[in-house]
Amino acid sequence: MDSDSDISISDYDEQNLSRSKAKGKGKATDKDKRKKEKAKRKPKDVQAYTWEANFTRSWETVQEDERGSLQGAVDDWMVRGRRKRLLAPQNAIRRTIIRHMVLLIDLSSSMMDRDMRPTRFAVTLQYAREFIIEWFDQNPLGQMAVVGMRAGVGERISDMSGNPQDVLKSISDRHKLEPTGEPSLQNSIEMARNSMNHLPTHSSREILIIFGSLTTCDPGNIHETLDECVKNKIRISIVALAAEMKICRELCDKTGGQFGVAMNEGHFKDLLFEIVPPPAQRGIIPRPATGGTTATAAATTANAAADLMMMGFPTRLPDASPPSLCQRFLCPRCLAKVCDVPTDCDICGLMIVSSPHLARSYHHLFPVKPYTAVASFDAVPDPSATSSCHACSRPFPTTAAPPANVGEGMSAIGRYRCPDCNTDFCSDCDVFVHDVIHCCPGCSK
Amino acid sequence: MAGSHLSVVIDLSPSQWHLSSLHQPYPLDISAFISQLLAFLNAHIAFKHENTLAVFGAFPGKSTLLYSSADPPAETPSNDANYFPPLKLVDSTMMHRIVQNLETLTQNNGDDKAPSALVGALTKALCYINRLTLEFNAATTNATEGLEPLALPDSRILILSVSPDQTASYIPVMNSIFSAQKLKVTIDACQIYGPDTVFLQQAAHLTGGSYIYLERRDALLQYLTMAFLPPPSVRQTISVPTQDKIDFRAACFCHKNIIDVGFVCSVCLSIFCQPVPVCSTCRQVLLTKFPFKTLQRLNAARSSLPSSPSQPRNSSAPSSPQKTNGRTPSRTEAPLGPGGLPHSGSISLNNSTTNGAISSR
Repeated sequence: MDSDSDISISDYDEQNLSRSKAKGKGKATDKDKRKKEKAKRKPKDVQAYTWEANFTRSWETVQEDERGSLQGAVDDWMVRGRRKRLLAPQNAIRRTIIRHMVLLIDLSSSMMDRDMRPTRFAVTLQYAREFIIEWFDQNPLGQMAVVGMRAGVGERISDMSGNPQDVLKSISDRHKLEPTGEPSLQNSIEMARNSMNHLPTHSSREILIIFGSLTTCDPGNIHETLDECVKNKIRISIVALAAEMKICRELCDKTGGQFGVAMNEGHFKDLLFEIVPPPAQRGIIPRPATGGTTATAAATTANAAADLMMMGFPTRLPDASPPSLCQRFLCPRCLAKVCDVPTDCDICGLMIVSSPHLARSYHHLFPVKPYTAVASFDAVPDPSATSSCHACSRPFPTTAAPPANVGEGMSAIGRYRCPDCNTDFCSDCDVFVHDVIHCCPGCSK
Repeated sequence: MAGSHLSVVIDLSPSQWHLSSLHQPYPLDISAFISQLLAFLNAHIAFKHENTLAVFGAFPGKSTLLYSSADPPAETPSNDANYFPPLKLVDSTMMHRIVQNLETLTQNNGDDKAPSALVGALTKALCYINRLTLEFNAATTNATEGLEPLALPDSRILILSVSPDQTASYIPVMNSIFSAQKLKVTIDACQIYGPDTVFLQQAAHLTGGSYIYLERRDALLQYLTMAFLPPPSVRQTISVPTQDKIDFRAACFCHKNIIDVGFVCSVCLSIFCQPVPVCSTCRQVLLTKFPFKTLQRLNAARSSLPSSPSQPRNSSAPSSPQKTNGRTPSRTEAPLGPGGLPHSGSISLNNSTTNGAISSR
């Protein structure tokens, strides 16, 4: 007898439950019950995986302080960002500004699992969209392609393109991407690898895999593919939605990518967005060493990655010019019309950028120094002269916060000081300056 | 519906204003400028009760907040029966602070030749708008529901500049422009005296604002009220002057030539007008050397270019006649571009001898 029906009589229930446990495979109703039981057994402070959690109690993660204010909890979030910034390397690191990425999306049937609401597939598509927008915003000279893993083959969804709209359009129609069959890591990685083989050495080659399955069906030995990727300097990063697989971990470790298993929707997004900032280049010794041999060694390693690129700066056609389908820019070499920059000229293949696009990448190369938290009023030389934030003129608090509310890396008096110009800023401006403006209002650089 | 926010950045460089007051045929000195500006600010305040205002002054080497409607000054001015109190508050506070700052400037004997801190004032204006945005979002239910933060509706920055571009501030200005785009803030710019500034043109273009070069300086107030008083949401229906010609070509870091096709270092994105063996910008820190094969390849590719990069393309570039101010565009007056290296006038760029330039290193 099958336990498919919604029988609510208690002894039947009991029976069903035990039977399904014995089988190791239950129907939907039983599964839910097991989930609930499991969630109950778990201590509440441990962050549960999505498939274990009964329902999220988001209001419980925010703790009020004794005055009933939520400020402490909000500050904690901001401090996390501050600490991350302080841990970041201070001196000029070399980042790969010209990036090429293939986004591999798992379109196997396991993406229809409902552990993320409404389905893994829907969540993945939505986050992929946000990721693409943010990625192109941060990497204006980058190019991206999308490949789907479906029914045992790799399926090209969009070609390598520098235009975010093209990429977004290719994944906008979800009916064309309906998940089916088994995924094949090897097939799709091979497809991505072949599409990046011709790229110049100074640009990065990256593969980002959103992987929901726990299996892969490959035609050959995937370790050979892995070795080829290492040889071709392709960096593979994987965000897994189900659990860690050894081959996934190995792919990332050997190629220098990042690997993460998403615990829930928020964590999934965090993992994806960690890929957005341009990666530091590997194998570079940043400082010239004093010894002759090491200096030359450093020079040769740097040499391998640096290159001079020929770029064209297009002429923008005036609005009054005769109408045509694509009437915005002219390629400076062959005078062909191009619709949008940055792009490669369709006719002569010249890389066409406009100077603002180059400028958009500069902040990765010249970051603002992190501000230091001012610990107490003793460190403020003249509190009356600097009574408000140097940038937004919000008045600083005049009393120090109780130490219980002050986390590590936070200022009790809400002041954060630039090490160069010695002016104080409020915490909002600290975040805004480092995340958005990338330019200190005090020293104007 | 909420009112619109206006942040005004005014350039108060004494030396530039002195030059402006002597410039014929339309001299404009700072006192006339401030009286016209105050009339404009009063118009903005009086336009709608909810309108907010912040004024930032860029003095030589320092920038400061002159007035903001979020933190009104403690002392209220004496009542005047003929004066609307909010307007009086704006006028007296601004005058007081401008005089105060100019006095400290003369007391400190600081050289007023230092370029005015437009970048500082601009970033402060952005931080201020960010603060208003955060407060606006906290007031709505949006923040608690975890939705994307809303942009402050109808906020804009107006830059009134009298100084020429400073090449060193290229990166901060561009960074500010991109943050303004993120905050959905429109940047308007008005160059009152001095040469056209490419940076402000780009700022206005990239954020959807308008850039005006003031031809008739005596008619400043008319320009201000006609072009900059309407908030961005109204701009579509009324015709506000926009610039048609905008130069997005870059200047090379080595000779400051405006170029069509350049050579870009893959590490630091410095632009050169000819293939070079070593990147001059990042060679100290990162030891950037380019492979010799690339140089050969690029030199070969370069000789096949239809137009040599260093020749001005006035004749071939399809630039339409200036509509806004009728001046003839000339390449010589806008050699400013990215980079912070000083102009080296002694180096004459010779196209045919690129190999000579390489071997001289």
